[in-house]
Amino acid sequence: MIDEMQTRDSLKMYNRLVERCFSNCVDTFRRKNLDKDEEKCVSKCTEKFLKHSARASLRFNELNAEAAGMPAPPQ
Amino acid sequence: MSEVDRAKALKMAEVEMEYRVDLFTRLSSVCFDKCIDHKYKDGDLNVGENSCVDRCSSKYWQVVGIVGQLLGANQQQPPR
Repeated sequence: MIDEMQTRDSLKMYNRLVERCFSNCVDTFRRKNLDKDEEKCVSKCTEKFLKHSARASLRFNELNAEAAGMPAPPQ
Repeated sequence: MSEVDRAKALKMAEVEMEYRVDLFTRLSSVCFDKCIDHKYKDGDLNVGENSCVDRCSSKYWQVVGIVGQLLGANQQQPPR
């Protein structure tokens, strides 16, 4: 059950991330292959997103812990 | 194949199918926004729109590959 939900969530996240980075990085359609800059942009977009969500979840957990009346664990 | 295995395989196929449908929906909506003239002068795709959609789909597919690779490198379970 949990396993299936996790697979589902990560596939959803994958699709959303592809859509976001494609929208932000690819704007010209003169060729059918990505050019170097587009490729680089997509890679950086993905890496940045992953780092962003790691940091956001860290902060989110701290806030949650605070709200529950527990001191946030030192990071 | 046992009853349990069969149910599991079916569930996985279902999840996979959902992923494909979601992927197509996104590809199609992004490429529509990027390629189709929103003045809608004509009900047909013109030559430029046709080839734009072809290239857009092809590029989108490549982005799926790149992002998938990076996600796979980052987590142990690479979604494909």
